[in-house]
Amino acid sequence: MPPSIHLLHAPDGFVSVPIAVAMWAVTAVVLAIAVRRTNATLSERAVPLLGVMAAFIFAAQMFNFPVAGGTSGHLLGGVLAAILLGPWAGTLVMASVIAVQGLLFQDGGLVVMGLNIFNMGVIGTLGGYWLYRALAGLFGGEGRGRLPAAAIAAWVSVVAGAVSMSLQIGLTPDMPPLGLVLGAMVGVHVLIGIGEALITVAALAFIGVTRADLFELRDRSPQAA
Amino acid sequence: MAAIAAIAAISLQPMGAFGPLALMFALLVAASLLARLGPWRLVRGAFVALPFMLIALPLVFTRPGDPLGSISLGPLHLTVSGEGLRAFATIALKSWLSVQVALLLTYTTPFHDLLDALRELRLPRILVSIIGFMYRYLAVIGDEAQRLLRARASRSALAEGAAGGGSIAWRARVTGNMVGSLFLRSYERSERVYDAMIARGFEGTFRHLGLRPITTGEWIAFASVLVALAAWAVATHLWWNPS
Repeated sequence: MPPSIHLLHAPDGFVSVPIAVAMWAVTAVVLAIAVRRTNATLSERAVPLLGVMAAFIFAAQMFNFPVAGGTSGHLLGGVLAAILLGPWAGTLVMASVIAVQGLLFQDGGLVVMGLNIFNMGVIGTLGGYWLYRALAGLFGGEGRGRLPAAAIAAWVSVVAGAVSMSLQIGLTPDMPPLGLVLGAMVGVHVLIGIGEALITVAALAFIGVTRADLFELRDRSPQAA
Repeated sequence: MAAIAAIAAISLQPMGAFGPLALMFALLVAASLLARLGPWRLVRGAFVALPFMLIALPLVFTRPGDPLGSISLGPLHLTVSGEGLRAFATIALKSWLSVQVALLLTYTTPFHDLLDALRELRLPRILVSIIGFMYRYLAVIGDEAQRLLRARASRSALAEGAAGGGSIAWRARVTGNMVGSLFLRSYERSERVYDAMIARGFEGTFRHLGLRPITTGEWIAFASVLVALAAWAVATHLWWNPS
């Protein structure tokens, strides 16, 4: 099962060590908060759920569809995970996915794993979730505003991840100038983000038609589960 | 841990330090042979880092330095500089070597040993459990995904050379539906997994056998690897003169 290769997974050697270490520190703090919040709100039932969900995100990244000229759209899944599981649990799931991709499949380096988790798991999932909630409120509640809010949040999450990654590469000495990296990375991810948005929306619509009760999964208290 | 230190040491190497990097490569190859890994497997695994090298490629053309030659691509006129070429080669080598170190780690260490190591490094228990579950069900959910992909492929058989049907939005919806049904199947599986755990007496915490203690020999090996890596990093900065 070859994992699909994403440009957002930086390998080791592209970002200077001080930046990588600093990003690890930031990521560690966020993950610590996420662990505490998840432990407080979810029952022990959540462990198999989140583990299987991490496998789901990993497998869902294999799905792609042809766009044009040999390129294809596929999913990162940060916003989808956050909408279904809640922002903190979603962050843990994305961090696990990135950790396994780095440890097992060399998709993303070890020293730079902190910043990979930050770019995809934290920006995409936490940031994407807050944006989603704000937009959903704007569009008249989660019931009606779910799909448009999810579309915008999914697109922004991918582009913001690319911007963040470009800044980290651009701040590293001996790399191409920031403007060039930013242009290339963001240019590509503006398109990738559209694929992300379309798939996220379609997946949510599908779940809404078949098992709408699962939208309450993330709010379910330990007693009710 | 030694793997992470090695990658950090590689990243710290200055531009154009080809000599030290070559030495590291020789050592890595030796270690891989000791671990009885075929060289072919390692080379194949390393291709994962290739797409990212494209990002460093513009360096060849943008770094100021003595022009070595130039390429004309239609309206574009690109000048290759020696400086830029050297910077690109260094970055490419660095990331390749880092991938080799990581490969060495994963091909020699069973996954549950890695999990034990994560637990010992005081990673929060819930994170270790999620990673453990994820690894266990990766193949199962992956097969589920393959079945969905095969189903889509057989629904959309196409005559040779004919253009694919449907707009991009329609294709995205099909893919989204696949993601949605994969989610439902995964969710329902996780419910069955939990029920099965309860049936086997799960009480909310995982028990596992005690850890294999780390032997003195391993400590000594670990410490000497660290010292050697530090010496390697310092030595190149002091004595290697890239000119």
